[in-house]
Amino acid sequence: MFTCKRFILGSSVLVIALVALAVGLQAQGVKIADPTSVVMIVNRDSNDLAFMDIKSHAIVGRVFLGNNVNPHMVMMSPDGRYVVTGGTRANKAFIVDVKTLQLVKTIPVDIAPEHLAFSPDSRWYYQGNPEGDSISVIDMQSLSKIKTIPGFAEPLNVTFLPDGSKAYVGNYGAHWVGVVDVRRHELVKKIPIAEVPGVSKLDPEKYLGEIHGINIAMPSPDGKYLYAADGTLGIVGVIDPREDKVIKHIRVGKDPWRIYMGHDGKYAITPNNGDQTISIIDLKTNTVAATLEAGPNMTGVNFAAGKAFVISSTSGFVYVYNMSSLKPAGRIKMGTNIQLETATTDTKDEKMYLAESTNHEVLIIDGKTEQVEHVKNVGLFPWGTHIMDSKDNYCH
Amino acid sequence: MRRSLSVVRGAALLAAAIVCGGGVAFAQATQKPGQAPQMNMANMDHRGALSGRVRDGAGTGQAEVTVQVVSQENGAMFSATTDAQGNYAFGALPVSKYEVSVTRNGLTAYRKRDVDVAMDGKAQLDITLDAAAAAAAADFERQDLLAKISTLEQRITDLESSAVLSEPETRTRRVTVFLDANGNEHDEQVPGSKPVVTYRRERTYRRQTINEKIEAALEDAAKHSVTVGVDAAMATQFAGRTKGDLDANRRAYALASADLFFTAGIAQNTVFFADIVGLSGAPPDAEIPSLTLLNGYTARLVRQNELNLREAWLRTELFGQKLSLTAGRLDLTNYFDHNALSNDESTQFISDALVNNQVLGLDVNGTGVAAELDPKNGIKVKFGLQQNNNDATNLGDSLFTLSEVGYTFTPFALPEGNYRLWFRTDNTDPLGTRKAVGVSLDQKLSPAFGVFGRWGRSESEGGHDRYYSAGVGISKGFIFNPEDTWGVGYAQTELFSGQQEKLVEGYYNFSLTEKLRLSFTLTGVVDRPETAATTGKFGYLLPGIRFQAAF
Repeated sequence: MFTCKRFILGSSVLVIALVALAVGLQAQGVKIADPTSVVMIVNRDSNDLAFMDIKSHAIVGRVFLGNNVNPHMVMMSPDGRYVVTGGTRANKAFIVDVKTLQLVKTIPVDIAPEHLAFSPDSRWYYQGNPEGDSISVIDMQSLSKIKTIPGFAEPLNVTFLPDGSKAYVGNYGAHWVGVVDVRRHELVKKIPIAEVPGVSKLDPEKYLGEIHGINIAMPSPDGKYLYAADGTLGIVGVIDPREDKVIKHIRVGKDPWRIYMGHDGKYAITPNNGDQTISIIDLKTNTVAATLEAGPNMTGVNFAAGKAFVISSTSGFVYVYNMSSLKPAGRIKMGTNIQLETATTDTKDEKMYLAESTNHEVLIIDGKTEQVEHVKNVGLFPWGTHIMDSKDNYCH
Repeated sequence: MRRSLSVVRGAALLAAAIVCGGGVAFAQATQKPGQAPQMNMANMDHRGALSGRVRDGAGTGQAEVTVQVVSQENGAMFSATTDAQGNYAFGALPVSKYEVSVTRNGLTAYRKRDVDVAMDGKAQLDITLDAAAAAAAADFERQDLLAKISTLEQRITDLESSAVLSEPETRTRRVTVFLDANGNEHDEQVPGSKPVVTYRRERTYRRQTINEKIEAALEDAAKHSVTVGVDAAMATQFAGRTKGDLDANRRAYALASADLFFTAGIAQNTVFFADIVGLSGAPPDAEIPSLTLLNGYTARLVRQNELNLREAWLRTELFGQKLSLTAGRLDLTNYFDHNALSNDESTQFISDALVNNQVLGLDVNGTGVAAELDPKNGIKVKFGLQQNNNDATNLGDSLFTLSEVGYTFTPFALPEGNYRLWFRTDNTDPLGTRKAVGVSLDQKLSPAFGVFGRWGRSESEGGHDRYYSAGVGISKGFIFNPEDTWGVGYAQTELFSGQQEKLVEGYYNFSLTEKLRLSFTLTGVVDRPETAATTGKFGYLLPGIRFQAAF
């Protein structure tokens, strides 16, 4: 009896403490208590970040960044404390506190910031500036820019090694991957993905014109290798980060946009916009396991329910592939005369959240049933989505 | 008893920890007066300290004054607040030169540049907030403001030259509305209403740069214009007799071909296409009576040195673009038996026996319809009909039908393969409808190496004609340039009448640029014109060179 009384007393204290905590958090203006509970939507033309509750699909918060900002990519720090975005037109990085949804810092960076990445320990925020040919290094402890690393050629995406020692930068305006020593924040090495063929001299229009270099050096799910697709060369280079050299060339279709890693670690996919195919790469043998028909202007690949979903931005279709049989598995019509952007997948690999900019909506695709739900009025020109810890967080 | 006590203690500790945790989290966002900014020293590079005292003109320490320092090298910003005695301290600043400022009542009361914080050093800066310091700061502020205005002016000029500022655009959208019994329109469904499709103008906000605008306008203009494509080729072949006594020996042949393609989008998911071809020259088929064409381009040769309309059709896509219908003047073999490794005389094998299944039996292009159902799940179903005689007097005359089922998959952990089964009928022969059946496959064994095969059997007068071919195609491996391809193939054609042909060919196709290709071919052929006769047997070796420009 006495024991029971003590237990009740203890439980009461706990409940009171929790209630007090909840009230306290509310008093502090806490809007998002659980950073994994929301989908972040970056709205290019309304210059804001919208936060959609994953369960209710209601917009639970919105952070206006300023006029003429044009935010490009949104990402949450691995510790769930901050959400950041680069304002492409404002040439600034924006840091938002997740709990309160307050814009806590605006930091001038270089020209046209687009894609970004966090170091695994959340300490460093690397902001790529494609038109400034640089990476801005932002210290997330002091919330200040501590360095600008020059010497890149249209740096599109940054990826960190799991131990945070090195960062790899895809240069879309060149055919090499930049290696950054994260301790010194210096570009220490350039890894050419492949040699430009000798026959290129006969085709200056292709090789001297608009270059489609390397979008991203994507780590394999086990973190042992990086895969970088080069659009102009039609090659995926496999990089061993221990020696920082290319150990294998995989020839894929024409003009691969970039590489996307399947969640089970078996396959990766390059959408090849030059010939409207996808190349499915076997990560064990580093060979092309299948080349299958797809659609025009592909902007992303998501994986859910054992399938790959390839976004064809201008056709209004999402192409579906069975990742067990490596066979086409139909396509989902998302609409007519619409522009599909990019998507993220929830951490259960069940649903995808696809930004559709023409009608200012997010399309939620159930990976298993392929049913589509429309969430309207998320903001003007939604450009991309992001979920903390999702394996499919990417941008154009 | 001990256990229940520990439960109570645990619960209390947990509650306290949660409450304290919340408190700490809140405290991190604020900074106590006089305290240096909270930093994780474990992860920090070498840094230095800066401290001092803020006084007024009379020398009295000023409390609750915010001192801000900004790195002159990278713009990193830090601030600290003075304690009751006017002391401030920055415990760990990154090594840099700093601009130190104090703002009071919205005005800068003090500013000093080039304050050096050295590695592991302890810099001292005492600040006096008197009239002289305020005047110096104001002057500094003025200069700073002028510089900012100048930067802003430049930025506005840049923006005006590259951006279209927030002008809302109008766009007409196709929407579904609901009409009630009174004919009133509703955006949402109401009882008794029916859905109706209509069009509505809407304002949209899509900010674009001038470049984006130009690109969109050009893309829109291209959609409404006719695009022209050209495929020009020159195929030169040399013939050396290896067997028989035909006149043709050690002779050269050349056939020049130019195709003009016109494509125009004329409605949603609907295009018009026309192909006009002109040919000139003499192919080996003019002198060597082989069972199949030794130059695949010869099939296009209708009249020398004249332009001929090869194809002119409309194509539309229905049911979510799953079903495509093509109608007009067609070459039905373009839609069926589409073998990935041996189906193109311009970039693969030049001999027609390795381009088309020889028992398909379609001689000419003509009026027809082709339907293709492609649900994008690997299965394709096709049906087409076409007239096989340009002199036919009615649509039922010389009617040629083709049906095909195709399947794409990755068998036995191999890369993708395409498998097709087709069936055709042809009522050109007045004695009755002739039927034929065939299979066609192309299977990649590795990303670089693929095999292909065809087989066909066709009814002919009194029996059956037979055809088969097989070979390999290589790309993305064992090549000189990345886009090069090469292959080797064998084809055998046997007619019920006794005629037989065995043909072997190899080619290497150099992809010089995206628009220019140069190929070398070597064909060996042995023909037996009749069953019993061996004297009429002839054989040839034909090396060739093919130059193709497509743009």
